[in-house]
Amino acid sequence: MLKIITATAKEFLLLLRDRTGLLVLFLMPAILVIVITLVQENVMELTGQKKTQVLFLDLDQGDLGRSLQTQLKTGNLELVVWDENRKDMAEIQKAVANGDYQVGIVIPKDATYRFKEAAARLFQPGKGTENPADSMTTPLHLFIDPGIMAGLRSGVTAQLQMALTVMSQEAKITMLSKTLQEAMAGLNVPPEAAPLDSNKLPALFSQPLLTLTENPSNTRATITSYNPVQQNVPAWALFGMFFTAIPIAGSILRERNSGIWVRLMALPVSPLVLFAGKAIAYMGICLCQFVLIALIGAFLFPLIGLPAFTVSMNLPAVLLTVLFSSLAACGYGIFLGLICNSYEQASTVGATSVVAAAAIGGVMVPVYAMPHMMQRLSIISPLNWGLTAFQDLLLRGYSLSAIVGDLGRLLLFFAVCAFFSWKLAGRQQ
Amino acid sequence: MDQTASINQGNPARPDSGSSGAIFASGLIKQYKNANSPALNDFSLDVQPGEFYGLLGPNGAGKTTAISILTGLFPPDSGTARIMGMVFRESENKIKQILGLVPQNIGLYDKLTARENLTFFGKICGIQGKKLAERIEQGLEFARLADHARQPVATFSTGMKRRLNLAVGLINDPQVLILDEPCVGIDAQSRNLIHEQLTAINQRGTTILYTTHYMEEAQELCSRIGIIDNGRLVEEGTPAALLQQSGRANLEELFLHLTGKELRDS
Ligand SMILES: Nc1ncnc2c1ncn2[C@@H]1O[C@H](COP(=O)(O)OP(=O)(O)OP(=O)(O)O)[C@@H](O)[C@H]1O
Ligand SMILES: [Mg+2]
Repeated sequence: MLKIITATAKEFLLLLRDRTGLLVLFLMPAILVIVITLVQENVMELTGQKKTQVLFLDLDQGDLGRSLQTQLKTGNLELVVWDENRKDMAEIQKAVANGDYQVGIVIPKDATYRFKEAAARLFQPGKGTENPADSMTTPLHLFIDPGIMAGLRSGVTAQLQMALTVMSQEAKITMLSKTLQEAMAGLNVPPEAAPLDSNKLPALFSQPLLTLTENPSNTRATITSYNPVQQNVPAWALFGMFFTAIPIAGSILRERNSGIWVRLMALPVSPLVLFAGKAIAYMGICLCQFVLIALIGAFLFPLIGLPAFTVSMNLPAVLLTVLFSSLAACGYGIFLGLICNSYEQASTVGATSVVAAAAIGGVMVPVYAMPHMMQRLSIISPLNWGLTAFQDLLLRGYSLSAIVGDLGRLLLFFAVCAFFSWKLAGRQQ
Repeated sequence: MDQTASINQGNPARPDSGSSGAIFASGLIKQYKNANSPALNDFSLDVQPGEFYGLLGPNGAGKTTAISILTGLFPPDSGTARIMGMVFRESENKIKQILGLVPQNIGLYDKLTARENLTFFGKICGIQGKKLAERIEQGLEFARLADHARQPVATFSTGMKRRLNLAVGLINDPQVLILDEPCVGIDAQSRNLIHEQLTAINQRGTTILYTTHYMEEAQELCSRIGIIDNGRLVEEGTPAALLQQSGRANLEELFLHLTGKELRDS
């Protein structure tokens, strides 16, 4: 036990003497989490955190364009209205194709006239049963950047479609009410005797009969809307933690490549004691890393226009997840330090494997958004275990009991790494 | 074949395999992966308690490999190694309690000071409290680094590093001390200091195994010398006996005669 403390103290001392190394350890994940969260505009758009810009060109300048604008403004779309005297459809197409805007919509000339005509024709007395011909629809032109995510694409088209449906309904109801009114007038029915006040028809039709109420997805949790910050902060903190595997491997390789390791192996101390010293010291670093990132999420993010990161009532469970994840990372670092023969090797292998494990584990793209096969594969990544635990605690509001399995897997991963490292340490050549 | 040189050739320690001195090796074979020839090829050695034994050999002869096996860093492919009659497989901890190693590559933390290095390795050996403080002061005094105790090792000269490297190897006051080329690359002053102190330590009863490629060093220090080449001991005896038997003017000549003049590590 005393020897473990000695080994831990030595690692801390070495870390403190290496100021630049320490700075990198803290700065790297901090910068990552800020940059990644800022650039994840797509995610924010998808989740309604940020409005999607829609180019709007009204070559018609009639009621149709005005009412479409009103409709769209209530949703998640931000209209960028272009001057119809200076721009044309080809320019919109180009702007979207270049990726300057994700969506463009053009209302062609005479659209209002054709739209009203069609509505009127539909309700012409005596023509009501006739199938409306195709020629009666008025095409509005839509351009969508092929580079946008499928989810965003379907979200935007659904909103536009919805707006068009509402407008068509309104137009039809207005026409229907007018036709009815005229018919009633022709029949000389006194207004009191009419079954319905035709003036009230539009109001009646806009009255919703069904609504959606969102309920918590589980009994214990409260409803929280999806928030990229709650997802990103733990995900990239985890990534940073696993990156400490590289400096740990480096510290072992420095010992192995000098006479230190040879000396230590001839002294009455088990390699496991030395590993424990490293693991404890670097777990301390990981914990500080997480606290720093959490503080950035909580206090810096609101200042730069992002939602704030919050650790709910599960703080002890969150810290436990941090400790177990960093333990797994340390185990991996120690293993790397013994299986590789140079720092260059360890940093290449380490960086590649951590990035791959992060990608597979859902740090970069959420697991549910991956192809089916990769989703199945994701459970082999230790970063996935850590991430699942964080999400259970921070997004789903579960308590400690829900993450015991993930913590167990992380612990097992450490144990396996430590075991193989111990075996390797006994046969260093 | 030269008649005189063949007197003791082969495996001098082998015949009386029943005896087992302070440092004992018999028939050690070690083949590294991705190496053409074995680093140790039937290497045997028997150093008696209290002896100052010099293991002399050209670059790549297998000195470090032999020491690695003797200090339990890795096992040999075959053969046995014992320290004070104990084998690593059975009494690893007991051996490590009485063994001191000064590695060929300097085994010090660059970023720690001289005192911190001594403290760390002392504590790792299980030494504590007053005894530790004493040993640290002795170590600093031994390495003549008392005035530089608070300086990080990175700022030290090669001589200072070598002296501290040696002092750290002595921190647990070992009964058996194994030194792998402790004087490479240092000036005459440092070397002289180290020589004097090693002699003193040996006179207090510590068994020493000392590897080097410098003849005079071995001749000056050691009570017995073994010459290793191509992973096997080719000659052994006291410096005087070796000279007498071979009829050479000095050990340098004998050494070149025994190990050949072509480069060994090319
Ligand atoms: N890890 C290793 N892998 C492969 N070959 C090795 C390894 N270590 C040593 N060797 C080879 O084994 C042989 C013996 O090496 P060793 O280090 O024991 O020699 P040495 O006598 O200590 O040499 P030096 O005087 O240069 O220290 C050499 O040919 C060397 O190239
Ligand atoms: Mg050597």
